[in-house]
Amino acid sequence: MSATLQRHTTRQLTRAKTTLKCTSLNSTFASRCNSTSVSNEHYNVVVAGGGAVGSVLARLLLDDNVGGSNNRRPIKIALLEQRPSPPSLNNITSKTDSFPNPRAYALSPTSLSYLGPSVLQSLVKSNRCGIYDSMQIWEHDGPAQLHFVGDDLEEAINDGRLVNLNTYLDRNKDRTKPWLGAVVEDASLVSAIWDELRTDERIDLLDNIQIKSIESPSYDQMGKIEPPPHVNITCCRHDETVALSADLLVAADGANSFVRKCVGNFPMVTRSYGRKAVTCTVEIDTSKGNWGMAQTAFQRFLPHGPIALLPVWNSGDQTDDRIYANVVWSTTPSEADHLLSLSPSEFVSTLNHYLCQGPNVNPSLLPNSVSSNTSILTKVAKEIDSLLRTANTALTIGTWTEAPSRNFFRMPPRSVGVVSPILGFDLTLSHVSSSSVNGNRRGGYTSPRVALVGDAAHTMHPMAGQGLNLGMGDVNVLSNLVKEAIDSGMDVGGTDLFLDRFNDDRMLTGWGTVGGVHSLHEIFGQSGSVPISVTNPQSQGQIESVGGIQGLIGYSRSMGMNIVNGIGPVRRALAEVAAGAVPRGLP
Amino acid sequence: MAFALLQPPLRRDHCRASLLRLLRKRPVAGRYANTRTFGNRASSTAANKINAGGGSSSSSSSESKSMNASQCEVNKFSSFASSWWDSRNNPLVGMNPIRVKFIRDVVQEFQFSNKANQHAMQLPLHNKQVLDIGCGGGLLTESLSRLGATRVFGLDASSKVVEVAKSHSFHNSSRMASIGNITNVENADINQSGLTNISYVGGVTVEEFATTWQLESQPNVPHNELFDVITALEVVEHVPNPSSLLHAATSLLKPNGILFVSTINRTIKSYGMAIVAAEYITGKVPLGTHDWNHFFSPKEIESMICKDSNSMRQVSVSGMVLKPPFVNMQWYLSPEDTDINWIGAYQKQH
Repeated sequence: MSATLQRHTTRQLTRAKTTLKCTSLNSTFASRCNSTSVSNEHYNVVVAGGGAVGSVLARLLLDDNVGGSNNRRPIKIALLEQRPSPPSLNNITSKTDSFPNPRAYALSPTSLSYLGPSVLQSLVKSNRCGIYDSMQIWEHDGPAQLHFVGDDLEEAINDGRLVNLNTYLDRNKDRTKPWLGAVVEDASLVSAIWDELRTDERIDLLDNIQIKSIESPSYDQMGKIEPPPHVNITCCRHDETVALSADLLVAADGANSFVRKCVGNFPMVTRSYGRKAVTCTVEIDTSKGNWGMAQTAFQRFLPHGPIALLPVWNSGDQTDDRIYANVVWSTTPSEADHLLSLSPSEFVSTLNHYLCQGPNVNPSLLPNSVSSNTSILTKVAKEIDSLLRTANTALTIGTWTEAPSRNFFRMPPRSVGVVSPILGFDLTLSHVSSSSVNGNRRGGYTSPRVALVGDAAHTMHPMAGQGLNLGMGDVNVLSNLVKEAIDSGMDVGGTDLFLDRFNDDRMLTGWGTVGGVHSLHEIFGQSGSVPISVTNPQSQGQIESVGGIQGLIGYSRSMGMNIVNGIGPVRRALAEVAAGAVPRGLP
Repeated sequence: MAFALLQPPLRRDHCRASLLRLLRKRPVAGRYANTRTFGNRASSTAANKINAGGGSSSSSSSESKSMNASQCEVNKFSSFASSWWDSRNNPLVGMNPIRVKFIRDVVQEFQFSNKANQHAMQLPLHNKQVLDIGCGGGLLTESLSRLGATRVFGLDASSKVVEVAKSHSFHNSSRMASIGNITNVENADINQSGLTNISYVGGVTVEEFATTWQLESQPNVPHNELFDVITALEVVEHVPNPSSLLHAATSLLKPNGILFVSTINRTIKSYGMAIVAAEYITGKVPLGTHDWNHFFSPKEIESMICKDSNSMRQVSVSGMVLKPPFVNMQWYLSPEDTDINWIGAYQKQH
């Protein structure tokens, strides 16, 4: 702490000195003060956006994979952040009256590994992780459920296809089950990473900075004898103009990326889901002893979208008796607005009502109008319908007995109060697209000397918790390519080589993930019953079936979930995909 | 394509100006006195050529003086010149990272006694004098320079591709100079990305270079002017007498110096991949780039280098294999699979 303070004062002093007399400083100080107040600095990589994705990218770029401070890779990077630099994690955790911020992410084990041992350790030790080693997903109009547990990842970890997070932490003996993931608040995550970045002199952390203009090479300047000029970034900081240049500019500035718009070579495919998410932090009722639930992520699918209840702040030594959870409720905009208009107590009772319901029988595959008909044909159809529904229920019960670690359906804990503001945000699908001009690519994840990562390149429905995980995949691939270029003595943006490789990898993974999540959204949006309305509490009660093709899709989905849940290898494969493990059979 | 480099007058002047500036920037310390002489000689030839209009006749006449360089091979590579740095058209760009990785690894293992040496990790070629034979457009030459080499000589029988290399690294270094990162080259250590320590020599064979070099080097400083690292990558399959090239190269090595050679093995697989697939099916490599009969196996190259001089020893050989699905030009090193592309390291003993 004192070291940080001292360092801070030194930098302040340095800046003050520079304005007076720059020549008297020795070279080390000169280079530091250049970075904070003087322009015309050149970097290997400039990262625009110091949020979760941008700061993890910076961390990975500085991660040398070799021990010892003498073996540092000669790299120079700058991280540009519009807002003031985040406080240190200690400052955040020392506040006693705080509650978990609803702006949080569910990170897969692979994404957590990109944070590195020291960041992960400090988050875990300061109780800022919401670890879950069990995940239960069920539907509102069927008996099926999916139940993943940490053991489903054991095989991938043993094969070396998935990182073993236990090696990152000196873990308690009672918590050695593999994690399925952890929920981390945005603010804590960013603070913990910046704390680590502040200790490395190869990065310039430029906060309170606004990018004014970007001058990047044109497509025609690539692959020529004369190498493409560097990308020039003109910024404004403390009312001063700062000009930077870089081999590569990375846009990590979110869904409304200024860099993407400013460079302008990036066509996007966008589609609104017609859905809105409502999120907040709730306190969990512990009167009935819900301790076992504290490490489970719950997700119940309603026809308009799922309600997720995710654990937060459960990684510390649990001195506090209170348990919190993060709620993400996706639904139609009108229902979301209704939820946002509720008082906290009304919200809690609505949440408990819709979340704390067990599995159900499948609705009839026949529309209600058929049931009044008494012909022989109808009776036969009804018998078949009933048989099918019973079969699916039996299948569900059958899957429960497979392993003791994955037993019966667990009712999620009830919430007792909302402890944070209730926030709402619109959900859209977006992904960069590319076209071909004379056999050369235009658009995609890169343009000359510019690359997009994270939400700047793609957004999706939060139902599978893959949004930030995909962004983490982007920065992992990009950082490896930048490091390869530096180790090879090459200019990462000087040829199309590294940018093409980045684009090829991410287009495939990105579209795969966005498309997969969209399919899930479509499949779970189909229901055999008439959607229940949150806005009209009187309409609850008997499930009304609509039958027909929607009923069939709903039934097949329910059956499919049972099959996935019941067949170990299939379920494990799905858990591995969600955890970010390397698929079986790939080197 | 063949005359793509014959630029309009404006561009030629620009080119010449860049050359002259590059010359002026050279370090003129006494240690490099004879280096300078040599560099001047070669560069002034190139400059004259440009003055004369850069016509194909004048350039070919000067190139035909070379002994160990096939004229048609030289013309072939001259025609590739304009797309040399285009990763989408030149597979060598994609191959460069693993070639450099191999060189780094071998230099670290065999030339550094102390593994924990700071420079071994950061700048593996720190304090080393490097010669790149068949430098082409300067892909590898620039990499070697950025990895900390004190001085890199890029040598190519085609003066046209060397012009590309000069122009490319001139633009790189002038941009870095305008930013101010390389104002003090001597002290710039980690952040030195400038390429002012490269000297390109075009239209000259290694044999000629070696003769001149040894004539001009002084007897009282026997090893100082010789090279720590010499690279001849993707070259031996393009010269009429590879053995003579390799001999000239080894004669320029310091004791403990390492010669790197890469080429393509002469196997059925290499015929299928390097010629049929690369040239005829995918067109990744221009038609007629390679002649299968001029490929060499690691054993043949080893015997050429080590047979009649006991001072040379093969220290490492590795295959360079293209990763499926072959489209994004991603390569990896595989010590076992030397069936197609391979790279070897040969060290001079004390």
